[in-house]
Amino acid sequence: MAKKVTLLVGTKKGLYILRGDAGRGSWACEGPEFAPAEIHHAAYDPRDGSMFAAVNQTWGGSRIEVSRDMGKTWKTTKNPAFPEGGDRTFSKTWHIEPGHSKTPNVVWAGTEPAALFKSEDRGETWSIVKSLDDQPSRAKWVPGFGGMGLHSIAIDATDPKKMQVGISVGGVYRTEDGGVTWVQDNKVNGAPSERPDVFYCIHKLLAHPEESGLRFMRVHEEVYWRDPGETTWQFSTKGLPTNFGFAAAMHPRDRSTAYVIPLDGMKRTASPFGIGVYRTTDKGKTWDRLDRGLPEGAPMESVREGMHNDRLDPMGLYFGTANGDVWASKNEGESWSRVAQYLPYVTSVHAATIE
Amino acid sequence: MLLHGAYRGFAGGARDVTLDAATIGEALEGLVRAHPSLAERLRDEHGKLRPHLALFINQDDARLLGWEDAPLHDGDIVHVIPAVSGG
Repeated sequence: MAKKVTLLVGTKKGLYILRGDAGRGSWACEGPEFAPAEIHHAAYDPRDGSMFAAVNQTWGGSRIEVSRDMGKTWKTTKNPAFPEGGDRTFSKTWHIEPGHSKTPNVVWAGTEPAALFKSEDRGETWSIVKSLDDQPSRAKWVPGFGGMGLHSIAIDATDPKKMQVGISVGGVYRTEDGGVTWVQDNKVNGAPSERPDVFYCIHKLLAHPEESGLRFMRVHEEVYWRDPGETTWQFSTKGLPTNFGFAAAMHPRDRSTAYVIPLDGMKRTASPFGIGVYRTTDKGKTWDRLDRGLPEGAPMESVREGMHNDRLDPMGLYFGTANGDVWASKNEGESWSRVAQYLPYVTSVHAATIE
Repeated sequence: MLLHGAYRGFAGGARDVTLDAATIGEALEGLVRAHPSLAERLRDEHGKLRPHLALFINQDDARLLGWEDAPLHDGDIVHVIPAVSGG
């Protein structure tokens, strides 16, 4: 059966599902589900076909919803809960990450206040990862502009015990024993050192899905690469029009290729250079602008979860914008077409590659 | 108890529940027994009622009558309402 792509598009007013045809040329848009709640992130689990949605809502509190029938129906899961006796309560889910193929029942969630939650029953219930929560350095975590959340969960390609998490603003933590112990993982190589504190404002941390140890990271003011075996983050920002941005993606097969959408650090939009996806094919040494088909000079914005790729060949790349567009490229970013418009503010795009 | 707006959806579409309760707190317990899906929608993990939840006894705001201790009488209608704030 031919593979197809379904886009889970989170917005500030609900979840939209864009179901693509076999050629990725036509998209049927369904939704919104859960409106008026904000969907900070939604994810597809290729291991069993589940879909998860981070439904962040004032009325009734935030919750995580799961669908076992490809988004036709949804079920509310047991809420993540912070320990009794503290002053923290579960406020929002920032990211949901299906676990490694070797741990088929495990799903991870990053929340606000910043914490890592683990589900061992396919997302039905969630438990806080106490070993990370007990880190003494947690006292130094502070909110960024969007709050204080754990948003990046980077699971190693071959060893599920090895993973990193990214926190705004708390830096990177690494475990190599499945979360029993954690160490801070914030050593930088080659970056300007004027604002080392800003480095801890992680914007997006990704693990390559096939190459163990390969990582790509978008930080508040920089971009970093890490090859297998390395223990520092290699500064890879030179050549980008700005050093600021959120959205990031890694090529699922090529070990040297990654993508970002730079934004103006003050305006928080893609101006004055206009919206564009930037690609490196040499581990961040150089960057090329990919904008064929995109509106010239448009001051659009794509946020933290705003860009994602499918697993087809050639790879499809997708991003959503604050003005309610979803743009797609089925040729690895070489050209773009708009596949949805007039949606609410797009907060996340997740490309599900479906058999 | 009469559910309004989003709370009706959280209860699987239920509109109302009739129960015996002496206070708002008891009424909420009965409501959750009838519709367990409301438990985490009404209270956080520490048992505190969520913000942006309005409870009215007939036409009176329960916050002004003792909140969870507010007494109920035969025939009272407790309205469970998603509160709106801001402008």
